[in-house]
Amino acid sequence: MQTLIKVENLVKRYARRNPAGGQEELLALDGVSFEVLAGSTLAVVGESGSGKSTLALCLACLEEATSGSIWLEGKDICKVAEKERREMRPQIQMIFQDPANSLNPRWRTLEIVTEPLVLRGGISRDEMKKQVYALLGRVGLPAETAKRLPCELSGGQRQRLAIARVLALEPKVLILDEALSALDCSVQAQIANLLMELQGALGMTYVFITHDLGMAAHLADEIVVMNGGRIVERGRAEEVLREPREEITRRLVAAVPRLTRSPLAPIGR
Amino acid sequence: MRLRRSVAKWLVVLGVLHGIVVCAGFFAPYDPAEQDRKSPYLPPMRVHVVDEEGHFHARPFVYAFRLRQGTFDQYEEDAARSYPLRFFVRGARYRLLGILPSRLHLFGAEDLRIYLLGTDAYGRDQLSRLVFGGQVSLLAGLLGAGITLSLGLCIGAVAGYYGGWRDDVLMRVAELFLALPWLYLLFAVRAFLPLTVRPLAAFFLIVAVIGEVGWARPARLVRAVVLSAKERDFVRAARGFGAKDVYLLRWHILPETGSVLLTQAAILVPQYVLAEMTLSFLGLGVPEPVPSWGNLLSSLQQYSVLVSYWWMYLPTLAMVPFFLGYLGLASSLQERGPAYKIERRSLGSLT
Repeated sequence: MQTLIKVENLVKRYARRNPAGGQEELLALDGVSFEVLAGSTLAVVGESGSGKSTLALCLACLEEATSGSIWLEGKDICKVAEKERREMRPQIQMIFQDPANSLNPRWRTLEIVTEPLVLRGGISRDEMKKQVYALLGRVGLPAETAKRLPCELSGGQRQRLAIARVLALEPKVLILDEALSALDCSVQAQIANLLMELQGALGMTYVFITHDLGMAAHLADEIVVMNGGRIVERGRAEEVLREPREEITRRLVAAVPRLTRSPLAPIGR
Repeated sequence: MRLRRSVAKWLVVLGVLHGIVVCAGFFAPYDPAEQDRKSPYLPPMRVHVVDEEGHFHARPFVYAFRLRQGTFDQYEEDAARSYPLRFFVRGARYRLLGILPSRLHLFGAEDLRIYLLGTDAYGRDQLSRLVFGGQVSLLAGLLGAGITLSLGLCIGAVAGYYGGWRDDVLMRVAELFLALPWLYLLFAVRAFLPLTVRPLAAFFLIVAVIGEVGWARPARLVRAVVLSAKERDFVRAARGFGAKDVYLLRWHILPETGSVLLTQAAILVPQYVLAEMTLSFLGLGVPEPVPSWGNLLSSLQQYSVLVSYWWMYLPTLAMVPFFLGYLGLASSLQERGPAYKIERRSLGSLT
């Protein structure tokens, strides 16, 4: 397998005003480097504030990195011209934590899934509609949900809808920013299975950002552990979990709830 | 968008009130500029159903007025001359909605002019002037609010969405506008113009000035909404699909400002009607003989009118239901919040 994404020395600083009126710098990403193989899943785990969500936003080109580079198939998406970046953007898509927030609450399902197709353009309205229904079927949403508002769907259905929407663009990379954390356990398992099935069928690459080590172990091939904007540990999923080297990883492993005697029994299996 | 019952209720109230004003020609018995020099400052006529002898009449009637002996401006009812009220009578010509020519009026009487709200110094019917005056005043309020909100929307959207130096500059200018003593600013603007201005020009002038002064407050509110809306995940997601700024503003961000704008509109309209009244009261608004609510009240500047002719205050009472309607609408719009709801059950599962 070849490398699809290569992140090199990524730094993101936020300037913010402190109450005293001065400028204060917040270092969210402090020289992050990693690689992801095409068709594999990388889990990024860490506590809140460890910089993993900032990493997700930078990878999805929704935040501009302060320095460093993100290579996608040999092109640095941080450096290419605005026009080219707009063309590359659809290839990296993101699923957000809270589907109630990532779907426009005023729009109906049909409009939500049609939006990326409209923005990409190039096909007729009828064709779009046909594609939308195909996508809804693909993620297991019944066709009658097309007329519903997001608030009329369940949490799991909403996340399926968010997945259907990004599939419309046939992305190479899917960034799952805590995509399962807002769901309850049984729904988490369903969505996780859907994601794995889609990965098998479409060969997408996942960057799975989570604080849930159990789910990370279940889904990921590789794990990187972040703390304070740096990667403190990386390796194959099982190894990192079985023999955590860093204190922070040990703490995260210890935080996984255990229902059986076997450590880290993945949820939903 | 489903309308809540309380919002619908206020809309109906406002609809009826505005309907009366829009169809002023029908509801007003006379032309607002028509003078009756023989009866200046006539008090409101009383509508009777029982006559002097105590007989009941199914058709309401009014008595004619005559001058009380030894006075020159005191009237009394002349019980010998009664005139029944007639409904759907033919009277002065007017154009309904400015187009349809008609002579039909809701009520009137034969051989006598009825003044249910009295007359002014020239014997003009106050009721007719009140209903017609509403057209000028309410239109000024609505147009002014429209200008203010469009300006506020554009400026607030630019400041909130683009941020940075644009935000700083626009918000400092907004603070300046909030600090302006706008009434005196209007005097200054008026001073630049010739003494007499055509009514239409004067109307649009005051609408423009009133409308442009007030943009700062709605702009700040819109900015706040845009600031939070642009960070929402569905806006981020659309940007990830390759959407450009104009698309994001048009389809995702500005719709979020809808409820703020509606509430502001409901607050601004009565405020601007009052502003028009203030200007006309001071003689800086629409010139006579065009009626406007401010013009109706401008005779109250004279002390003699103030103390002698109580019915000259009546138009102010007529405005209360209008203002109440708008403010009621504003508060029930505010209650409503966003047009969508997130179920409590699903919110619970998110945390």
